[in-house]
Amino acid sequence: MERKRLLVSKSLDTDLARSEKQTLYRIATLYLLLSIIIIFGFSFMYYTAQKELMLQEKKAELQQDSKDFLLKLKQLHINFDKTQVYPRSKAYESAIFDSDKKLIFATIPTQLSLHKILYLQDAMIHLVSIPESYYLGAKYVIIQVKDNALWYERTKKELLLFNLLAFSVMFVIGYVLLRLFLKPMRDAIHLLDRFIKDTTHELNTPVSTIVNNIEMIDKTKLDAKTLKKINRIDIGAKTISNIYQDLTYLTLGNKIVVNDEKIDLGELLQERVDYFKSLANAKKVFMEVKIVTNTSLFIDRAKLSKLVDNLISNAIKYNKINGYIHIILNKNEIIFEDSGIGIAQENIVKMQERYTRFNNVSGGFGLGLSIVSSIAQEYKLKIKIESEEFAWTKVSLQW
Amino acid sequence: MVRVLSVFLLASILHGGVYQTNCVACHKTLPVSIDKYFYRYLLKYSSEKDVKAAMYHYLQNPSKKKSVMAEAFISRFGVKQKSKLTNKQLQKALNVYWNRYKVFGRLR
Repeated sequence: MERKRLLVSKSLDTDLARSEKQTLYRIATLYLLLSIIIIFGFSFMYYTAQKELMLQEKKAELQQDSKDFLLKLKQLHINFDKTQVYPRSKAYESAIFDSDKKLIFATIPTQLSLHKILYLQDAMIHLVSIPESYYLGAKYVIIQVKDNALWYERTKKELLLFNLLAFSVMFVIGYVLLRLFLKPMRDAIHLLDRFIKDTTHELNTPVSTIVNNIEMIDKTKLDAKTLKKINRIDIGAKTISNIYQDLTYLTLGNKIVVNDEKIDLGELLQERVDYFKSLANAKKVFMEVKIVTNTSLFIDRAKLSKLVDNLISNAIKYNKINGYIHIILNKNEIIFEDSGIGIAQENIVKMQERYTRFNNVSGGFGLGLSIVSSIAQEYKLKIKIESEEFAWTKVSLQW
Repeated sequence: MVRVLSVFLLASILHGGVYQTNCVACHKTLPVSIDKYFYRYLLKYSSEKDVKAAMYHYLQNPSKKKSVMAEAFISRFGVKQKSKLTNKQLQKALNVYWNRYKVFGRLR
């Protein structure tokens, strides 16, 4: 029986490894964040300086207004028994406060601050002055004029230009630096990546040759001793073939050509059970498929085979001598039930993590469950694991 | 209710009374009206608290140094005599004086 193989695209170029990409993103994010903070800091300082400059330019004008207002206030103070009309001007608004900072009168409706001498608030420029004599008890006099915001528009344009320029420069510098810093790591990862890919690729031909040739041998013509040896070779070759398939899936994950089609699950399960028969027989494990309701799924055949293979392979690997494996196909699920060594409850949640292994009885690379989880996630299949340690394990694949 | 109002009215008259009897009565004889003193104090001390405190200290111990009036005014009319009012009466008189001439609420 010919084994369904994962198809990979012919392109041998490699993407950046996931860890490298993650590192790259993290460093890039940090760098960009720092750049933004620095640019924002400079922008803020520039804006503050421009605002201060504008205020200083306006100060003389406001001082003149203040002087004019105080003259009028003085007149009112002298003639307060005759008139109580507060001095007003079209050029400015004003407010007076006593020495306890209690408002005496104001033509300004908003809350005012007396803590600063010259400030901008709500697009209005304010000058706080303290006259030599407190006419009508006014110790603090505030003169308010409207800010024409010309300086603001000019500063905004300058800042926009500066930010764009600075950000572009920082971006280019950052990109060059990142490439420079990551080069050794990139080279090392690519070397390792290339090595794994080349190795797995080189394994393909001999393993396929062994498996195919064993399948071609007419076993009826062999004597019992030779048949036993051939079976052992078959088991060994299939184990290597499984590992090869797992490695291919993991290392060339993004290069696998996906070909989703309608798959008859009953037929596929039977095919995979037949493939593993020699492995199961070697351990005297009884394996059977029970089709309660035959059904089909729209899925990539090679990926589903990989998923089923890993679950069957695990069920054999962690089974007892003379144990059993029941594969039950229902309308919305496939159940893999075995009489194996089981899994401790605390480990069930962790067990889908890549390379997590919970015993050291059998060999292997612990890639299986990670692949199962990854394929199940891709096709939105739910995996439910139930187990009793040292008794049984039941893995349900639901959709 | 009527009783409360009567007590309040009486208290107001009595307060005003201290001011009328002990302040206005004397100042009437002077050529400078009493409000002018108030605005001299306001010009120098600004807030209600500071104005009242300054007036109080001056009336308790009048001196040329403490006076807010001009040199020429003091030379002509001299420094007033020490007030014979009790502290409480003095405070009441000052409250009436402040309320009568304060700027707050009068500007328009």
